[in-house]
Amino acid sequence: MTAESEGRGSEAQIAVHWREEGYYYPPAAFIGQANAADPAIYERFGEEHFPECFKEYADLLSWDSYWHTTLDTSNPPFWQWFAGGKLNACYNCVDRHLAGSANKAALIWVPEPEDTDPVAITYQELYRRVNEFAVLLRDFCGLRAGDRVTFHLPMVPELPVAMLACARLGVIHSQVFGGFSGTACGHRIADSGSRVLVTMDGYYRGGELVDHKVKADEAVAAARQEGTGIDKVLVWRRHPGRYASTTPMAEGRDFFVDELLGPYRGRAVAPVSMPAEAPLFLMYTSGTTGRPKGCQHSTGGYLAYVAGTSKYYQDIHPEDTYWCMADIGWITGHSYIVYGPLALGTTSVIYEGVPTYPDAGRPWRIAERLGVSIFHTSPTAIRMLRKVGPEEPKKYSYHFKHMTTVGEPIEPEVWRWYYEAAGKGQAVIVDTWWQTENGGFLGSTLPALMPMKPGSCGPGVLGIYPVIWDEDGNEAEAGSGKAGNICIRNPWPGTFQTIWGQPERYVQTYYDKYCKDKASTDWRDWPYFAGDGAVKAADGYFRILGRVDDVINVAGHRLGTKELESATLMVGEVAEAAAVPVMDEVRGRAVEMYVSLKPGFTPSQEIADKVRGAIETEIGKIARPRNVWIVADMPKTRSGKIMRRVIAAVSNFADVGDTTTLANPEIVEDIRHHVQAEKAAHGDVPRELTPEEVEELMAFGQAE
Amino acid sequence: MTQQYLAGELSVLLGELQAAAPNQASARDLAGLRHQAETGPLNVLGAVTVRALALADDLCWDLLTRADAVGFTRQAALSAQLHVFGVCAGLLPEEK
Repeated sequence: MTAESEGRGSEAQIAVHWREEGYYYPPAAFIGQANAADPAIYERFGEEHFPECFKEYADLLSWDSYWHTTLDTSNPPFWQWFAGGKLNACYNCVDRHLAGSANKAALIWVPEPEDTDPVAITYQELYRRVNEFAVLLRDFCGLRAGDRVTFHLPMVPELPVAMLACARLGVIHSQVFGGFSGTACGHRIADSGSRVLVTMDGYYRGGELVDHKVKADEAVAAARQEGTGIDKVLVWRRHPGRYASTTPMAEGRDFFVDELLGPYRGRAVAPVSMPAEAPLFLMYTSGTTGRPKGCQHSTGGYLAYVAGTSKYYQDIHPEDTYWCMADIGWITGHSYIVYGPLALGTTSVIYEGVPTYPDAGRPWRIAERLGVSIFHTSPTAIRMLRKVGPEEPKKYSYHFKHMTTVGEPIEPEVWRWYYEAAGKGQAVIVDTWWQTENGGFLGSTLPALMPMKPGSCGPGVLGIYPVIWDEDGNEAEAGSGKAGNICIRNPWPGTFQTIWGQPERYVQTYYDKYCKDKASTDWRDWPYFAGDGAVKAADGYFRILGRVDDVINVAGHRLGTKELESATLMVGEVAEAAAVPVMDEVRGRAVEMYVSLKPGFTPSQEIADKVRGAIETEIGKIARPRNVWIVADMPKTRSGKIMRRVIAAVSNFADVGDTTTLANPEIVEDIRHHVQAEKAAHGDVPRELTPEEVEELMAFGQAE
Repeated sequence: MTQQYLAGELSVLLGELQAAAPNQASARDLAGLRHQAETGPLNVLGAVTVRALALADDLCWDLLTRADAVGFTRQAALSAQLHVFGVCAGLLPEEK
């Protein structure tokens, strides 16, 4: 993202990188067939109808027994949706489609090698495979409802089969992104308390068959180091009968699934009727303290939410062929490759490999061959496809009626390529904002009812009531240009239930900041803090600015440390950068930059000047650092996080506090000696800090 | 934002660089960067990418010096993939 020069100096313009754009309107042909084309839907989901409005989503599902309380707020913020209701997620995604769609493709799997044909798995076939694997998990692995299983699987049909098999039994699945290391998988195994790991021997990436089984051994070892033993490793083989790994199978622990399945072929197990609030799966995100955060998602609320948002925001009809190009290892894949689309009985495409393999035309050839009508991907993938093959889409005769972009803000020029080239000027685009914690979309336009605006995600989705607050809880009004923290005032069915095993962290991270009354059971007192910055335009559309960062307020200008550091990293000699505040009698606060250099470079005034210049150019004169300190290394935690509060304390001659958790505590004294001696020599020694200033410095760096 | 996938893609690319590393020391350095990408907050990804590219650069020069054409070609290709990803993911500035 590059900064547009639009008069630097105002608060929002420092935070926002691109200017407002004009509107694009959905075509009449799309509106005519859309699931949500009647504006009456707004009233149905208005705040006066909350929380009962979400019955509309829940009624998309088949329930074994109906709920007695739509939203139970008796133990905030541990919300319970559709309390008293019972259902099975697998039944909703598979069984109930058999009567009318048994021979319809539920999944179409596209192997990466282009000379291998796609494989269509009908609902009937999916039912068979899911049941066989479910019986295996129950009888061979001894798994029961509430147990956890970790998957470390690539983009193969065995992954949704395994997910649905677990859902059938009420077993909680935890899929670790297939590309993550075995060690990362092991940490998640340990945190979730899984005793079974499901993996694959290999998969194709960029034309090569990658040895994936080797990671299973690393994962088991890493989990054991954290006190969790894996009893069984179930290994699917990418090529039946052929082992794609050089890593030996551990006798008594590792088993080929295809060899185990024999006795279970043709068998079935009744779907276990689960309470709506029973956990369905865990999805881990990067943590801030090194321990991963396992977002625990419910069964009833989550499934209702992804079904409803798939119907209205993805506009999925049963006759569509829907392709979300994300990996199922991320929440996007869980919600909008597996659970949402299959709950609606549509056809969902899964592609094994790299989008640009063997060339940039691959996605469009897949779309053409399969007749994909709805496409869904990330801005990074869009930028990549635009960069390496801007003219490719026009070579292929596919037709998208609808496209989604998800995961990051998308700059207008990239959005326009997506619209004009990839979508051929015909597809509506929904630019969606949400997080792993949310289960499904929080911000988006309703595709048939609202115009698109490049660079903006649109308003809150149906039943979601966002607000932007500053650090003091003052609302940033629509059209004011002021950026702040986007929060959601109300709970919603897709929201995660807690962080697995860490309920205090859940409350602290997501609810402490703006909670009005911890004794209250009124949901209005417990707004959800998303952690993203945003600005709300006069038309009610939100523009998301990315993660909330620490902010340094220089003469009333809010400077994000991320932006300061990103600008600094553009200096070629710089390896790492950390921006910290220093007390300033005139401006309140000033910026000081700490940088470490790449190997082979020595500190110099020239480099310090380059850093100042980069910040001035990218952000503005107001952001020019008072000092640039070139240090040998930064104080870091064992997970590699730079401890900004420690260097902020050094800059302000304050107590650095607890340094026992640092991986390199010895660097602190080096930095202190260097920085404070220099400051003293120039008469730059601040006055004694007030208690509030001390508290501010101690809290600095905790936003990340 | 659901930007976790950026950490994932970066991890994959670092894993590939690690597998192609010509010596244990550089493989260890790359493993360390991969660990940072997998466990750290999302705003370290930019710095990790910069560091990884610098390391990959050094490895390319090392392989050239040792006249290892095959190793150099592979390392250079992986570095190029990492660079393109970094630019497209907004982790690296786009060169004008």
